[in-house]
Amino acid sequence: MTTDGLALATRGLVKRYGTRPALAGLDLSVPSGVVYGFLGPNGAGKTTTMRLLTGLIHPDAGSIEVLGRPFGRTDRHRLFEVGALIESPSFYPYLSGRENLRALAATGARVAATRIEELLELVGLRERAKDKVQTYSLGMKQRLGIAAALLSDPRLLLLDEPANGLDPAGIVAMRETLRHLASAGKTVFVSSHVLGEVQQLADVIGIIASGRLVREGPIEHLLEGEGEVRVRVPADDLDAARAALAALVSDGDVAPSGADDGWLTVRIETNRAAEVNRALVQAGIYASGLEAGSDLESLFLELTRGDGSGGHEGTFFGVAGGSR
Amino acid sequence: MRIFVVTLRKLVRRPASFVTLGILIGLLALILIAVAATASQPDAGPGQRQGLLLVTFPGAYTVILSFILGLGGLFAVIYGAAVAGSEWSWGTLKSAVARGESRSRYQLASFAAIALMIGVGMVIAFGAGIAVAIVGANIAVVSTAGLSDSETLGTLPELLGRGWLAIVEEGALGFAIATLARSQLAGIGAGIAFFFGEQFASIFLPDVIKYLPFNAANAVVATPGEGGFSGGGGDGGAVIASLEPNEALLVVVAWLVGALIVSTLFTERAEISG
Repeated sequence: MTTDGLALATRGLVKRYGTRPALAGLDLSVPSGVVYGFLGPNGAGKTTTMRLLTGLIHPDAGSIEVLGRPFGRTDRHRLFEVGALIESPSFYPYLSGRENLRALAATGARVAATRIEELLELVGLRERAKDKVQTYSLGMKQRLGIAAALLSDPRLLLLDEPANGLDPAGIVAMRETLRHLASAGKTVFVSSHVLGEVQQLADVIGIIASGRLVREGPIEHLLEGEGEVRVRVPADDLDAARAALAALVSDGDVAPSGADDGWLTVRIETNRAAEVNRALVQAGIYASGLEAGSDLESLFLELTRGDGSGGHEGTFFGVAGGSR
Repeated sequence: MRIFVVTLRKLVRRPASFVTLGILIGLLALILIAVAATASQPDAGPGQRQGLLLVTFPGAYTVILSFILGLGGLFAVIYGAAVAGSEWSWGTLKSAVARGESRSRYQLASFAAIALMIGVGMVIAFGAGIAVAIVGANIAVVSTAGLSDSETLGTLPELLGRGWLAIVEEGALGFAIATLARSQLAGIGAGIAFFFGEQFASIFLPDVIKYLPFNAANAVVATPGEGGFSGGGGDGGAVIASLEPNEALLVVVAWLVGALIVSTLFTERAEISG
């Protein structure tokens, strides 16, 4: 399989912790210059993947290509063009934000002298740059972590849950920054649980379950293929509406919502919403509400259903797993 | 070099650096003043009067250095463990590795900065110890004429150099233990246990104990046949043979190099998580 034009690619990536497989042959293809949303239930292998991509751990099998070149144990220089925020941001608590960035800048690729001040400004920490990190809030640490990831002006940015702890304004600012980076040709790889955030941010998504990629592609394309249209009709007309819509889709693709509130869900491409409305009108039924589209959450839940790694099934806390 | 300089800056700002040095100097001062005050009492016995050796120059130079090697060795283990362990506990090693930094270089440069800090701390503690010994001598009405003994002063640079190497070796052991434990607290705990464990080992391994790291470190500046003042970290009262200073120096270097190799190899091969 060719990896031309990809900022990041993994092929058959396998990682085991003891006998437990964390990744079972992961094939990722991350195009250059996009924001890539990396999704998966708890314990699906997201953090393991991030660690492998940054050389913190090493694969049992498979290969990784970073910015078009192989990345193995001896290729740490590849990371000079990569910025990363893995799990929680890591800093010396007794040093200030600025001093922490200086300390980090002494490692890896060289950093321009003015870069630290630029980044403190970018993440809105200039006023607090002299304060010790131990006095920072979670959101401030997260912003400092994003600044740290951007230190070397990387071509590829790997961010693990970057919105953690950020306030709404911070989330918007982060989203704009990441979009700006992607528009400047950089690649942003974002692992997140916040599906709504990813839906707004990402161009391409990859969904992982049980250590394997279960879906990957441009987000618009994926959601289009998985679309649905919801219509609200008078309760008395539900049966007639179902019959009318059966002309467009099979009977099994039309289902009332469980709440008995007059909503019907039609599994159909979202760009055919007008056809749904027309079919109802032709049957003399006037919808009082119509919603088209599919949210990422529906797609995610459908694709990761049955993932035994600790996803959404079972009670919320009742399934073993958690971030690896 | 960048990592060395930055680590040095980090250590200068680190509270543990000041706390460790402060406690060492505080204990040194407390013991010297207490011994001098007790020995100067009119009803002091022969044993107590012997304590005046601690504040009598030029012999006090060696005694103070021995004290720093003894108790300072324990503090060096804790300090080395705290610095190495926090890199794992705080995740800062992870951040450096994820930026493409060489694990080995990061560890060795960090330890080089620790070694320099230990050297500076040792010189400060030694200077403070001499100042306190002078005060103690005045309390005990002991002459300080030996302060300027040229023969002893001439040997001081070498003694300090040997002492520095010995304490650095002890710091390296703490560094290695915390690296293996991947934790600041576990590293400090294991380092302290190792320090005292070696003293207890003299009961079971009387012939081997002199080659173990802390006893070898204490022997580096000791005059052959003279136990030296270990400040509680020495031979614990047991009669055990010490190595010749030059032989001890070789053993110390071997332990130092071994500890750094273990730290570096482990870090190089470790899977970094958390």
